[in-house]
Amino acid sequence: MAAQQILEKYSGVVSTVQIGATAGEGGSRKSNILIGGQNTMPFLSAEGQIPHKPVVAFEIWDTPPLEWPKALLEAYGDVVGDTVAWAQKAAGDFKAESLCLRLQGAHPDFGDKDADSEVKLVSKLLESVDLPLIVLGSGDDAKDNQVLPAICEAAKGQRCLIGSAVSDNYKTLAAAVLADGHNIIAESPIDINIAKQLNILISDMGLPLERIVINPTIGALGYGLEYAYSIMERARLAALAGDKTMACPFICLVGHEAWRAKEAKASISEFPLWGEDVPRGVLWEVITATALLQAGGDLLVMRHPLAVEKIKKYIDNLTQK
Amino acid sequence: MKKFKVTFYPDNLTIEVNKDTTILSAAITAGIYINSVCGGDGVCGRCKVVLRKGKVICSSSAALTKDDKEKNIYLACLSTIHSDLEVEIPVSSRLNLERMVSPELKGLYSKSEDIELVKPKDQQEFSYAPLAKKIYIQLRRPSTNDNLSDLERLYQGIQLSPEVKQSTLVAGIENIQTSLSNIKQLGELLRDSEWKITVSIGERNNNSEIIAIEPQNTTKRIYGFAFDIGTTTISGQLIDLDLNKVLGTRASYNKQASFGSDVITRIIYAQEKDGLEKLHMAVIETVDEIIQDLVQEHKIDLNDLLYVVTSGNTTMIHLLLNIDPANIRREPYTPTVNFAPTIRAVEAGININPRGLIFCVPGIASYVGGDITAGVLSSGLYRQEDLGLFIDIGTNGEVVLGDREFLVSCAASAGPAFEGSGVACGMRASRGAIQKLKIGRGTKVSYSTIAGDRPRGICGSGYIDLLAEMLRCGVMDKDGKIKNTRNSLIRDGQMGKEFVIVPAAESASGEDILINEADIENLKRAKAAIYAACSILVRQMNFEFSQLKKIFIAGGFGTYLDIENAIQIGLLPDLKRPKFRFIGNSAIAGARQILISLEAKKEAEEIARKMTCMELSTEPQYMDEYMAALFFPHTDLTKFPSLVL
Repeated sequence: MAAQQILEKYSGVVSTVQIGATAGEGGSRKSNILIGGQNTMPFLSAEGQIPHKPVVAFEIWDTPPLEWPKALLEAYGDVVGDTVAWAQKAAGDFKAESLCLRLQGAHPDFGDKDADSEVKLVSKLLESVDLPLIVLGSGDDAKDNQVLPAICEAAKGQRCLIGSAVSDNYKTLAAAVLADGHNIIAESPIDINIAKQLNILISDMGLPLERIVINPTIGALGYGLEYAYSIMERARLAALAGDKTMACPFICLVGHEAWRAKEAKASISEFPLWGEDVPRGVLWEVITATALLQAGGDLLVMRHPLAVEKIKKYIDNLTQK
Repeated sequence: MKKFKVTFYPDNLTIEVNKDTTILSAAITAGIYINSVCGGDGVCGRCKVVLRKGKVICSSSAALTKDDKEKNIYLACLSTIHSDLEVEIPVSSRLNLERMVSPELKGLYSKSEDIELVKPKDQQEFSYAPLAKKIYIQLRRPSTNDNLSDLERLYQGIQLSPEVKQSTLVAGIENIQTSLSNIKQLGELLRDSEWKITVSIGERNNNSEIIAIEPQNTTKRIYGFAFDIGTTTISGQLIDLDLNKVLGTRASYNKQASFGSDVITRIIYAQEKDGLEKLHMAVIETVDEIIQDLVQEHKIDLNDLLYVVTSGNTTMIHLLLNIDPANIRREPYTPTVNFAPTIRAVEAGININPRGLIFCVPGIASYVGGDITAGVLSSGLYRQEDLGLFIDIGTNGEVVLGDREFLVSCAASAGPAFEGSGVACGMRASRGAIQKLKIGRGTKVSYSTIAGDRPRGICGSGYIDLLAEMLRCGVMDKDGKIKNTRNSLIRDGQMGKEFVIVPAAESASGEDILINEADIENLKRAKAAIYAACSILVRQMNFEFSQLKKIFIAGGFGTYLDIENAIQIGLLPDLKRPKFRFIGNSAIAGARQILISLEAKKEAEEIARKMTCMELSTEPQYMDEYMAALFFPHTDLTKFPSLVL
């Protein structure tokens, strides 16, 4: 006799967030991407609806990422010195579905680029590449409050995903995102309560929960991955149990965390026993990403093209009907 | 009765006293503190005085050397006055409070203040039988047919007195005790007073102790003190035990606060060199100051102050009694004592009648003390048929769940914010404290202060209203951040943004009364700790909030509490409003009830024996609950369904 399959049913649904607007929708993207919308845990399509696959975005910078390890820089070559060329290479050679521009150069300690030049860069990028765009600030609250509203305005209509709002600094960005029709990233420090509180605070300002993507903050393999995993799982279970304030898709900055790990970036000459550095780093990013997909990640921001390729294959395998 | 004049030097103070009064007692009446560790038993030898002129009768004591006698040195406690006297008190015999208090305490919170208490409504009633009582007795003169000894005659007189017959006194004749020094004076005292005397009797560990014997009828002059020794605030109440009447209530910040704001830092400080002694002296100093203020105001002789009942958390009682509290902090959190025996107040260092007694309301565990026993007593939770919750909002937030069948408690560290400490413009619930407020159009604040004085600051109930109103008007977001608006009352300050409630021109101090984001953070943590403790306790006992029939809210943060606002900010669970009852400082109310009723004392001991305690620090869910409660009203808004959010 065949074993009876026991299926879990949930009452809540994760909200669907649309990133990127096509010409018909008031933007200029070739297509948009949709994340979220599921009413079950990751990849358990037998238990519920999973209308949209997880999406991977390529991380690009507004300034040459000099501190990136050799393995990453070699994968892109010269283009890392020119943001637009970098974006075009990701879109062309690596078939990126989405781009995540980090405005690292706006940080006072990393170039202190002003709002004007960042606006020019984003405008040019939107003209040259027609992929949905995610924009991350520099991480300096005061500077981001100058730069990000200007970016929102310049990209009006493009339905970007812009971040990050944190509980100590969310009002300026939320107001700008609301005014210019974008989505917002709400970032919390691996803390389910703060994640939820920030969603409430942002929605109190009039920005609907359906336009919020949670960045739960993650750790790479060996650096707190399991904490991130359990927080994401708890948050998602709460969402599926009907908690609307938690029912937002997750964005995970995988590349950013994975490539900070010593095990990912150390060269073979430093640790001969650890093996070749390029495949090791790629695997570190891949393993981190697979775990986060299982935890409920909807949008992964990654760095190495080879890692992205492997993860896309992994997603395809798990979502094959 | 003959009276004599006694002059004390170097004070150059003269008072008139009855013959047979001891020099020690005369000095206390004159308001001069003399060292007396043994409480007047002639054992410690600390109360040496020099007799310059006059005649005393002094019983012998080993504490006096031959050399002393040659220098006309006597023990003040054993020397009865038999003529006009001139007495010199040497520095070594002086109880010099100035000297004992460590320099860092000087000038701190210098004055105690009148405080207002919640008017007790439907409070528990106990039969009037104070723990100390004076009875006036006219003994039969002995004769050849009736040659009973003086002491037996006295005991017989006590037994036959109407007070004992009405059983308002503690124990029968078989349990009466007294000290040798009282007996030594007895023969002469009885004869000089022509067998008409007043006996002061106090309850001491289920015995009746004769505290003092005085000539003539002084039964109208008997007083006691009820104290609530809080981590942040010490409140004291002077009670006329004859009339069963409160004469006055004072409060002062606990001077120990300069050694740390919570019990843990105090316990740690107690481990340092002289730390315990300093903490002990700081609390004694605060208590003494309150006693002095009220006694002077009501012109009461300290000799007539016979009994003190204190409620306080376990650490505070340890420090009051000068007992090392170290193990309270260490796993498995065992205090040295929960049921402290009744001792002489002087043994703890408190200056009342040298043989006066002190009873500390028994505690339950390391973090649930006698203040909670007293609170449960005065709220009547332990007599309720229906399930109820008792919440004490203090530096340590204690919660008790139960009814007449069971009582279970827990404690959470809330911090002193609701007592007006650790917040920029916070103050105790005393004159001039803003205790009620509303924000109207254009963020104009209207408020009322205690006693209607010009505003000096904000007390706990005022903060509860303020937070709720700021939320309602959108001055503050649910995380406790003050919003950016072009409002002249909102500005940037050193501790984040601040919101001005009373402009300098209207305040008593001439400075703005305001709240800043750091204050809000402290208040938010306090309310989260208390809510989380309630939530965990109720859940762990397999109940739900909705099953509670009555919720008693205690705390010395005001004379009123707006329940609706307390729920709006998530301090209290969202239940039907009529279930809540604000009972104010129930710790001092309970202490007072014990002081004036032996029945209440017995009930309190029974409560302390019966109550169990749940340790939150070993409860992993507590931290989760606490973190979730760090939001206004709560991260889980479904817990507050009645609020329009």
